[in-house]
Amino acid sequence: MEKTIRLTVNGEEKTLKIGVQQTLLEVLREDLGLTGTKKGCNQGECGACTVLLDGKPVSSCLLLAVKADGKTVLTIEGLAQAGELHPMQQAFNEKGAIQCGFCSPGMILVAKSLLERNPNPSTQEIKEAIAGNICRCTGYLQIIEAIRSFVS
Amino acid sequence: MRLLEFDYFEPRNLEDAVTKVREFDGNYQIIAGGTDLLTALKQRLSAPAGLVSLDHISSLKDIWEEDDVITIGAMCTLEDVLSSSLIAEKLPALNQAAWDVGSPLLRPLATIGGNICLNTRCRFYNQSSFWRSSRDTCYKAGGNICHVTNKRDSCVATFSADIPPVLIAHGARVRLAGPKGVRTLPLEQFYTADGRFPHVIMAGSGEILQEIEVPLPAPQVSCVYHKFRMRESIDFPVLGVAVMLKLGEKKSGKYCEDACLVITGAEPAPVEAVQAREELLHRRLEPGLLARVAEIAASEIHPIKTSLISPRYKREIAKIIVTDALKKAGGIEE
Repeated sequence: MEKTIRLTVNGEEKTLKIGVQQTLLEVLREDLGLTGTKKGCNQGECGACTVLLDGKPVSSCLLLAVKADGKTVLTIEGLAQAGELHPMQQAFNEKGAIQCGFCSPGMILVAKSLLERNPNPSTQEIKEAIAGNICRCTGYLQIIEAIRSFVS
Repeated sequence: MRLLEFDYFEPRNLEDAVTKVREFDGNYQIIAGGTDLLTALKQRLSAPAGLVSLDHISSLKDIWEEDDVITIGAMCTLEDVLSSSLIAEKLPALNQAAWDVGSPLLRPLATIGGNICLNTRCRFYNQSSFWRSSRDTCYKAGGNICHVTNKRDSCVATFSADIPPVLIAHGARVRLAGPKGVRTLPLEQFYTADGRFPHVIMAGSGEILQEIEVPLPAPQVSCVYHKFRMRESIDFPVLGVAVMLKLGEKKSGKYCEDACLVITGAEPAPVEAVQAREELLHRRLEPGLLARVAEIAASEIHPIKTSLISPRYKREIAKIIVTDALKKAGGIEE
């Protein structure tokens, strides 16, 4: 069964004909070619597929695309502006919070959304915010440090 | 793993949803947030012909207080529950239980109704179709053997939802809309204790969970939820307990006027520890009593090895989390 949905992806309005069984992750990666959003466990446990849905971080592998109809999606591709990395991306670079990079899109989007809701999070609040995102390289310390660099 | 094809319906009101469910004659699933359902569909645990989405029924998304009852629409997300000042103030244990479900990436999608209707879980059931293909299909997945008990025609999959224990401890009722109209029943009666069809909707009533009604707790009531899990960041409970205490004050100290202890993660339904409650009633809260009550509660559950955690370990954990929850609910310092 097919359905037409409207999504605002990284600021651009899209009208898409999708299969109702497609997840938002599949639509982003396969229909729109936005492969910055990663497919990890595909079961909502690892957070690699995180996108911001109306500003809130969600696992796009557990969201039917049809349920995102009319909503706004921000993926990692939407962060850099005019060739300039987003400050959170720069902070991840500078603090060595990136190794293989597979978790980074999700981590960075979660961090961005956390700071928008709470500009001065405690270390505990940062840890709670990234609780749904698994990193198997850095051991989390550099990631927390990168996010903490925005806290005054 | 991709999802198989299905038809998808988005009724605009409950009546249409109930009609659609009836048209499918059992070969359907209701989808709320979908965070648990999609995993199950990817694992081919079921292959419904149709999904009936409750997304566009706006009457299911409110939280309000009226006549000393707090009503929560089944389609409120866990994030809605967490951001409700009414719930934070009047039902803090529900706030805690919502926080303990899943991860921050799931709570904006997952709903309170979905948690109440959560399927039971088992190490032989919640696996990919490839994993499961190495042995006969288990009873819960449609076969006729339970690999846990090695018996036919029975299922002992474990109740794993965090929110229902708190609601039961508060005496909550659920409102169900179905082909025969609307009815409300105490939440504990919603559950069947059958691992295969753990609640009346899965057992085929053709109903839809509409809302949850929680009586406003008396000022002397204190309720807490304690959850023990293998991964603190995201996991189903190994064991969880909701403890509700209604406290009185005497010269000799605080005593228990009323109590309710409900345990999740132990059996196919939430377990009310009724003997533990009896032990607590009208007694002064002192460490010896709490330890005794926790022992009794641990003896009232009958865990079966449906996960990698042994029943004996679960009993030990029960003693610890019940004691901790009693201390916290009773306001007793360490």
